[in-house]
Amino acid sequence: MTEKELAAVVGRTFPGGEYTVEPYVDWLVRDVVDADQGEHVAHPLFAFIGSLRGKGMSLDELFEICGATAADGPMFGEHETEVIEPLRVGETYAVAGRFVSAERKHGRTAGTFDVVGFELTMTDRSGKAAVRVFNSFVFPRRAA
Amino acid sequence: MSTAVRVGDRLPEWDLPRVSREKMKTLAPILADPNPIHWDVDVVRGLGMGERPVNQGPSNMAYVMNMLAAWSGGHDRLRRLRVRFAGNVLGDDHVVARGVVSAVRDEGGRTVATCDVELVVVDGAVALTGTADVDVTDLSDPAGSPSPTTSTTTEER
Repeated sequence: MTEKELAAVVGRTFPGGEYTVEPYVDWLVRDVVDADQGEHVAHPLFAFIGSLRGKGMSLDELFEICGATAADGPMFGEHETEVIEPLRVGETYAVAGRFVSAERKHGRTAGTFDVVGFELTMTDRSGKAAVRVFNSFVFPRRAA
Repeated sequence: MSTAVRVGDRLPEWDLPRVSREKMKTLAPILADPNPIHWDVDVVRGLGMGERPVNQGPSNMAYVMNMLAAWSGGHDRLRRLRVRFAGNVLGDDHVVARGVVSAVRDEGGRTVATCDVELVVVDGAVALTGTADVDVTDLSDPAGSPSPTTSTTTEER
């Protein structure tokens, strides 16, 4: 992927979709991450889970837009969750978002790699944004 | 603004003595994460990554969320969490989430603490670092004297 092609990723939108915080999945997630059960809100990890599951695109498709495949070894770089209203168990949220950053870097040991960032928002039935997340992936560019 | 939470306070540590290999299998379909390094040791071995599955990064982040909730009174107190994934956590690892208050401010009548947070592998490396904003209004004491919860925190410094 050329730097011009990389720059063109910024601004692209996700198809979007919906994600429902199912009660049994909230239970399972809390069990997996050793959190207490029985809170009146969903575990905040659902901001990460729901936004990624509801964005309307698989990770493989996301990697393809970034000129990579899973075999290239993409890695999570950073994540940010902003909670406007805690997610509720049983609620369905609309998910929408876009790519917001793409930068080529060169490291002495890591070589050339690209860092691509995207934002996603989960909105409740009333149209109010509940959470916003930012994620970045790091793509090694051995041939760049 | 009066609050019992002060800059420099250390949060009570959140300790997980053994990261479960089996729970990684449960989380994989919830995340729709097809990467076999989280459940297939043969793949992990073939990649030269050792003999233990690699914990999903979101779980590492959730451990920090759990620490913040245990301190502040619930998961509904989290306002913002930004993390950088710095290293892997493997099955059977012993991990500890830690945090320290770096700022306290008033936001619309609520008391919000910013905390520097990390997840470390005991006898290993830092797996995750970041910052979090947490509503700590319920830890505040209108009289300005430390509450029992934050007294404990302060004594641990």
